[in-house]
Amino acid sequence: MSAAIAQWRGFKAATRLGWEISSNWTRPLVFVLYSVLRPLSAAFILVVMYRVISGNAPGTAAYLAFLVSGVAFWSFVQYGFAGLSNGIVEDRGEYKMLKYVYTSPVHFYVYLLGRGLAQLASAVASALIVLVVATIVLRLPIDPLRVNYPLLLAASFLALLAVIGMAMAFGLLLLQAVDAHGYGELGSGVLYVISGAIFPIGVLPGILATIASFSPLVYWMELIRRSLLGAAAIRMFPALSDGDVMLRLLVSTIGTLIVAHLVFTWADRLARRKGLIDMESNW
Amino acid sequence: MRHPSALRIFLKTIAARAYPRVVASFRNRTWVVTETLLPLIGTIAMIYVYRALHAPVRYLGFVVLGGVLLAFWQNVIWAMATQFFWDRGAGNLELFAMAPTSLAAILLGMAFGGAYVSLTRSVAVLLVASILFGISYSTAGLLPALGIFVLTICALYCLGMLLASLFLFYQREAWQLADAMQEPIYFLSGFYFPVRSLGAVVGGVGSLIPLTLGLDAIRQLVLPGTTQFIPIRWEVLAIVVQIAGYALLSQVSLRYLERRAREDARLILRST
Repeated sequence: MSAAIAQWRGFKAATRLGWEISSNWTRPLVFVLYSVLRPLSAAFILVVMYRVISGNAPGTAAYLAFLVSGVAFWSFVQYGFAGLSNGIVEDRGEYKMLKYVYTSPVHFYVYLLGRGLAQLASAVASALIVLVVATIVLRLPIDPLRVNYPLLLAASFLALLAVIGMAMAFGLLLLQAVDAHGYGELGSGVLYVISGAIFPIGVLPGILATIASFSPLVYWMELIRRSLLGAAAIRMFPALSDGDVMLRLLVSTIGTLIVAHLVFTWADRLARRKGLIDMESNW
Repeated sequence: MRHPSALRIFLKTIAARAYPRVVASFRNRTWVVTETLLPLIGTIAMIYVYRALHAPVRYLGFVVLGGVLLAFWQNVIWAMATQFFWDRGAGNLELFAMAPTSLAAILLGMAFGGAYVSLTRSVAVLLVASILFGISYSTAGLLPALGIFVLTICALYCLGMLLASLFLFYQREAWQLADAMQEPIYFLSGFYFPVRSLGAVVGGVGSLIPLTLGLDAIRQLVLPGTTQFIPIRWEVLAIVVQIAGYALLSQVSLRYLERRAREDARLILRST
């Protein structure tokens, strides 16, 4: 029991620490404002791009909803993946505290989970504001009373597990580099291209489309759109039912978590063997 | 003992501050990867958006040219505007302030070095994206486009110097502010679509950023069929005014904020 309490306390401390570090101890309102500006602008970039090509042709709302929902929920990957993987490197290089986390009684996974979940508050605020603003301004066919919340929450829970798993493994891999600044953003940029967030993966060339179809993020994006928009959603997998897509999300999440665990364990062992946990990285 | 002239110190400071940037542009391979791939991936993502919309090929060219200038904007934000913030965190700013030179010379050195680094990255983005997606440009307008490009970069780095002095004032939120100056600026400057689509008011506000007008003029010259925001000659004139204006403002602002920073002990106040 006491061990569980220690883990819980460690988790709480990690979550708080993650929030404070990611906001750099600035005022929460300022932080949230800045955090929202980026995805909101990203959504409007896509809206203008779409309007430039399609004008005000009928049926544009459905595609705009496709774009906006993808950008809105992408905040979870942006914050969860880039934030957490960068965080591991920052803990070592900038704050020089990774070695203390390793030597503390809290399991490293628990610490990283807490650190990753800290980003969730910003992501939730960002996604909500983008969706609300875009729905009102662009008259998107999103009715809050008709959203399939159980599907949305279940899909998002699985996707977040996958994102945090990938971020943990990627972050540990980054410990191999002396200077890994910007690699978190790079990783999330690659995921952005193959996730179906802003265009259907069918547009990608064959090999990339195949790789994308193994990613849980693609199925998550599909389920987000189906749960938010119902029948009005533009579908990347029209032949699959909601259940089929959820099954694919579940399987790909499990696969991702297994691979992430293997990579994490290998990178962790390598980092310990090479003495990289407390390496001076001239931050 | 003869002391070097003020001009000599000024010029040597510029060279000294530019030198590590030029050397680091190839020595630090991890930065080569991120600085090249980050704008490239963003560019590729937007190209696929247009492809999904079955847009004409010239729109892909819009995106690539946006990606080229995006590399410069990222450099201005992360290696100019926020540089004094990082330097303060690393303890270098107090050394700069003690040195027998001016912060303006240090900023100019950063600008020259940064512009060189960004140029190497943006050429990579231009070549890779254009070859990968088969985008061609009109060679007739290439020379004037290059001239406008140089003017735009000058104006951009003058704005960068102004931002650097303003960032002296920021503490903990500097990082978030720099973060917030990415997508919102990509939007206002029309990085991925014709500036004209933003309308007169938003486009006008966006024109305060030299990239907006420069990008529009370059697109008009090398991508025939681009809808014109304002005539090229007016855009060139506005960019020239911006060069003078931002250079002047940056010096005034730098002197004022440096004095304020000394009074408030912000030159040594670390917030990272």
